[in-house]
Amino acid sequence: MNSNGSGQITDAAERYKSGVIPYKKMGYWDADYQPKETDIIALFRLTPQPGVDPDEAAAAVAGESSTATWTVVWTDRLTAAELYRAKAYRVDLVPNTGPGTNNEAQYFAYIAYDLDLFEEGSIANLTASIIGNVFGFKAVKALRLEDMRIPVAYLKTFQGPATGIIVERERLDKFGRPILGATVKPKLGLSGRNYGRVVYEALKGGLDFTKDDENINSQPFMHWRDRYLYSMEAVNRASATTGEVKGHYLNVTAGTMEAMYERAEFAKSLGSVIVMIDLVIGYTAIQSMAKWARDNSMILHLHRAGHGTYTRQKNHGINFRVISKWMRMAGVDHIHAGTVVGKLEGDPNMVQGFYDILREPYNAMNLERGIFFDQPWASLKKVMPVASGGIHAGQMHQLLHYLGEDVVLQFGGGTIGHPMGVQAGATANRVALEAMIMARNEGRDFLSEGPKILDEAAKTCSPLRAALDTWKDITFNYASTDTPDFVPTTTGSI
Amino acid sequence: MSDAENTPSDVNEVDIDAVYKESAIQDVLDRLDAELVGLVPVKTRIREIAALLLVDKLRRQLDLTAGNPSMHMSFTGNPGTGKTTVAMRMADILHRLGYVRQGHLVAVTRDDLVGQYIGHTAPKTREVLKKAMGGVLFIDEAYYLYKPENERDYGAESIEILLQVMENQRDDLVVILAGYKDRMDKFFESNPGMSSRIAHHIDFPNYNPDELVQIAKLMLAESNYRMSAEAEEVFSEYVKKRMEMPNFANARSIRNALDRARLRQANRLFNSRGRMLTKVDLMTIEAEDLLKSRIFAQGTDESTQDDDE
Amino acid sequence: MITNPTGRLTQGQFSFLPDLTDEQISAQIKWALAHDWAVSIEYTDDPHPRNTYWEMFGLPMFDLKDPAAILMEVNEARKTFPNHYIRVMAFNSTRGVESPAMSFIVNRPANEPGFGLVRAEGPGREIRYSFHSYATDKPESERY
Repeated sequence: MNSNGSGQITDAAERYKSGVIPYKKMGYWDADYQPKETDIIALFRLTPQPGVDPDEAAAAVAGESSTATWTVVWTDRLTAAELYRAKAYRVDLVPNTGPGTNNEAQYFAYIAYDLDLFEEGSIANLTASIIGNVFGFKAVKALRLEDMRIPVAYLKTFQGPATGIIVERERLDKFGRPILGATVKPKLGLSGRNYGRVVYEALKGGLDFTKDDENINSQPFMHWRDRYLYSMEAVNRASATTGEVKGHYLNVTAGTMEAMYERAEFAKSLGSVIVMIDLVIGYTAIQSMAKWARDNSMILHLHRAGHGTYTRQKNHGINFRVISKWMRMAGVDHIHAGTVVGKLEGDPNMVQGFYDILREPYNAMNLERGIFFDQPWASLKKVMPVASGGIHAGQMHQLLHYLGEDVVLQFGGGTIGHPMGVQAGATANRVALEAMIMARNEGRDFLSEGPKILDEAAKTCSPLRAALDTWKDITFNYASTDTPDFVPTTTGSI
Repeated sequence: MSDAENTPSDVNEVDIDAVYKESAIQDVLDRLDAELVGLVPVKTRIREIAALLLVDKLRRQLDLTAGNPSMHMSFTGNPGTGKTTVAMRMADILHRLGYVRQGHLVAVTRDDLVGQYIGHTAPKTREVLKKAMGGVLFIDEAYYLYKPENERDYGAESIEILLQVMENQRDDLVVILAGYKDRMDKFFESNPGMSSRIAHHIDFPNYNPDELVQIAKLMLAESNYRMSAEAEEVFSEYVKKRMEMPNFANARSIRNALDRARLRQANRLFNSRGRMLTKVDLMTIEAEDLLKSRIFAQGTDESTQDDDE
Repeated sequence: MITNPTGRLTQGQFSFLPDLTDEQISAQIKWALAHDWAVSIEYTDDPHPRNTYWEMFGLPMFDLKDPAAILMEVNEARKTFPNHYIRVMAFNSTRGVESPAMSFIVNRPANEPGFGLVRAEGPGREIRYSFHSYATDKPESERY
């Protein structure tokens, strides 16, 4: 049998004889392949079925995510099949797995796809190829999409964030500090009137934004129009009494696109600066809303509802950094991306990697942070990451250290659960934030002096004192499941 | 920190050597010695000022408080006597001893400070002051700021702003006024406010002929030239003649003379085409390169031209 | 009077903290200069939340070395407009930013009258809101 160095059959008659042949031999494995600048590259973590050669498993993934089916088809010969075939070109054993360790062998498989395999400006089309079929594929026991290199040529076919960090800050007139937010609690059951009260108190107290929760849409206890009307009354009252631009993320998530547009239009007509959607509405709906937001000068907030089902486990699913890339392309302005210190999953290195992907004009390869490729962003605007879930004023120094300045810090419980009330909770957070920014700019070592800086600020702010006393012992110290593969010791949550 | 800030602290020893070493001002003084020929009185004054600042720093360590000494200076002397160079080193010393925060030098003249029309001067002067904050403001030929013959001259406005800042923001910048000695004296006479704010008057003497020859040799060495023994003799003749002529500007005139000598050397080498040139040929200024100077050709009395011979 | 917890306009980076001392202002300016940001001083008698363009107190200052230079202008501005809002802004010219990087208030009027909320009711309970600066009830030169 004639074959080249990578095991591909080179004789055409042989290659296209009816029957089943290994993917490697069909041409989905090419160890010598040099990815083109315009190729899309996907990096999978794959756990082959026992007895399956990792190269063959990688070739199978390449095949199933591009042109192949389980058997040879002669119709391939009517096409430039060689071009359309994805090429697995590199397979590395994942550190700390395989023989000699306690972990089953896992492999990083690099697969290159030609640009012509994808429709321009469509996350749906991109994902239908890359994650369309392969995750249920029998040859692999588990499969996780770890990272992607999106070529500039393809990026340029996407709108990108409707507003972006810079323009958002200009519209809000808020510079040089993180934005503060809070999710209205309880999640469910408040009437529109009661709901607006929480919004008003929190914004007047010093927050910049409040937020609907992901599952607040239009339930029997509060229909959407009521929520919008009362929330906007609260937002505008708070603006008048502080002189600041304020906002409330009105969740426009609904059962149909038509309903979402209707809600978004109503939010706009009430003067809201921002609307919100959930990740579960799907990629196409997200892109549609991003276009609407750009057309209507609105900021688009995305809650990553549902992502934990496929991002959390290390051996199977999609890494959140890939979701981050897709969402920057799809065009959202805000996305929840982890807190490092809060109640939800998030190793510090991994979370900082997500933030880099969302905020930087260029990502250099950084294995410690889980960034496998150099990724230029082709001037796509920057997405504002949102840190939300179990954070409080006493962690302000850590939050600023790990997450930086371009971030929305959302203290839901940390505002509404304050012993002196919602407004006091908001004030505590704002004072803690301003004191920390001031200390950082003064050149102080704010991370190690953090508690001292907060104590000093609390001298002139009793709500901050109360917040520090109430939550002083609260930490969420569990080991992360999604940890870096390339640091000597894996780090737990702090 | 002691409870009462005005009580001298209990510690009563300080290490003058350590502070001296840490400030590394010896480097600056050495550099001054190496770069500038002669100027002994100037160097002595600089040393004194450095000592004052150093002791002041030690005193502060022992909580012996005293107001920051005023450091505004006037540098008087003829052109080319090293005023700008010394000002640059002065800025460095002030910075190393913690008297100014940044240590840069901003050199200006009247045109940078004074405007052309009403309302133009204040912003211009303030702009310059802002650029100099944290460092040294060097005002060359400062007397041009004051034109008594013109009542409505905007220079007075600039002086007023300078005075304010010199008085109120001593910690933020040091001003050095520079120019000819006689004119500066007159300027101070008519501007007692300015005079009283200048703590150090430093006079830069003219160089003597030997010093000027030495300066020439330094300048040549810096640009990889040298004089032949014969040329050196001719040059010291040249210096004596040149000093008697009008518009003599010390080191500056020397630099100009050397520039012209280089031009003649190049011409001489160009005209001697047909033979191989050595490295020494290319480096050496010969006597004839100097003798062609008009000073030798025409005698001193006829040459009333400026430096451009 | 403004009625939020601080009793005053809360725009800018440090409005919830006690007024900044000159030393604190210098430290913030030093941060800006260390990043090579141009610093500008702006003032207004109408701090409406959508009033983007406060008057410039001179052009933004480039290429300065020391905070004292800018503090001098801040104090000059305070002397000229003791009863106006004055803010210090820093501008980052890096590609991909090219926008303000800092903004904080360094002077306020003794009495801050705040804003009224004007509601225009429409059909379907829809309300259009606008803010009214009480300060603007008086002519420009007499507001504070």
